[in-house]
Amino acid sequence: MTPTFTPLQNDAVLLPERLVDLLGLGEFGVAGEVVAAFLGAFLVANLMMAMTGVAGPWAKRKITAAFTDRIAVNRVGPFGLLIIVADAVRLLSKELIIPDGVDRPAWDLAPILIASTALLGFAVIPMGSGIHLADPEVGLVFVFAVASMTSVGLVMAGYASNNKYSFLGGMRAVAQNLAYEIPLIVVAVSVVIFAGTLQMSEIVAAQAEPLLVIAGVTIPAWYAFVNPFAFVLFVAANMMEIGRNPFDTPEAPTEIVAGYQTEYSSVYFVLVFLGEFLHIFLGGAIIATLFLGGPAGPVLPGIVWFLIKIWAVFLFTQWLRSALPRFRIDQLIEVGWKGLLVLSFANLILTAIIVGVIA
Amino acid sequence: MLGVVALLIPLGMIVVSSLLRPSVPEPNKRATYESGEVPTGTTKIRFNIQYYMVALLFVVFDVETVLIFPWAVMYRGALEEGVPLSQALGPMLLFIGILVIGLVWAWRQGAVSWVESPRAERKGREVR
Repeated sequence: MTPTFTPLQNDAVLLPERLVDLLGLGEFGVAGEVVAAFLGAFLVANLMMAMTGVAGPWAKRKITAAFTDRIAVNRVGPFGLLIIVADAVRLLSKELIIPDGVDRPAWDLAPILIASTALLGFAVIPMGSGIHLADPEVGLVFVFAVASMTSVGLVMAGYASNNKYSFLGGMRAVAQNLAYEIPLIVVAVSVVIFAGTLQMSEIVAAQAEPLLVIAGVTIPAWYAFVNPFAFVLFVAANMMEIGRNPFDTPEAPTEIVAGYQTEYSSVYFVLVFLGEFLHIFLGGAIIATLFLGGPAGPVLPGIVWFLIKIWAVFLFTQWLRSALPRFRIDQLIEVGWKGLLVLSFANLILTAIIVGVIA
Repeated sequence: MLGVVALLIPLGMIVVSSLLRPSVPEPNKRATYESGEVPTGTTKIRFNIQYYMVALLFVVFDVETVLIFPWAVMYRGALEEGVPLSQALGPMLLFIGILVIGLVWAWRQGAVSWVESPRAERKGREVR
């Protein structure tokens, strides 16, 4: 009575393999593959860094300014775009102040960990136009595992800084991560029930089928349309994961200065900041892959649609940032454990029953 | 490979920054930040037990999500192969049911609501 179910084998060409063909690296054997893998990873990492570069110093300011009826950066370059370069140079060339009593290895490692784990998650995200670094069968689990490793960095940063604000920020980060993690994964499981696989490319492929046709327009079976309830839950839990308003209690500039990043300056601050923005985009990429059909879309190439989707999620976070007040930490715990958790289990069971009935 | 790149980029930035930035050591500069005041006391203090309570609950549910994943992958395929719904869904409903009972118990014990310290409670009563 044990059902044998093998997921469809995926034969899509990944980015490193493409590079091997494109640059004729095949004749170098393993060395060629390593070089291609490195090049691919470098491309993807820099693409995401560029997104972060535009988002952090420029887009965030412009968006917030638009919401509060100001102009924001407009002096350096067209639309103030060169502020990105200016800010990068400014922050990198600042003095690195090492406060008294910091736990040295942990304090140094935390920014690196925060930035690199956020970057690592993009390895399994299919970005369209053949930009897809790796496609393991457990891609979804990998993404969540890597994304949660960031919390370790936050705790390290908070605890090692020897600062009361940092300490509180670190503790809040843990409590918050514990509260969101379960709802996030349980909602993702409800997607897995539909797709029947954890492989990212398969999840995207499963969303390509048409759901229904309205007035000649085919609506694809994106899981945001199939299961909007799960989509809303996931977006809320994702807000908690990336620690943006209204769930930015670990940073809470009006309460605890800057939370875990209070004592960081110069390049370490850049890394923490970078890690946060990468995390927003990683969250956007997960949402796009699980619920918005990944890189699918009409007319434009896949990568453009993928970028449009993650920027849409970014804009949404900035909108909430301007529009909503912050939750208090105790309210946040209650929202997580009493609200989101219960709703996500209800969603899981409902999804299972619906799939069971129609299948 | 992305792992290597993801490490190289931050390290590269640190190296570049270390070439660029000045170093003007001064003892007062290194003081721990406390809103401009001279720092009082140590940071290694006792903190709210609540963080531990939630963590304990988390361990239970985290293990449980790991157990749900294989079921979710199998579920649809199993149904399509003709496994009756009661056999595919029943055990998982029971499993989740037990967990929900656990959550309700923890909820009623007050594990998921924020515990106020006795001092804060006294203060709150005075205000009220």
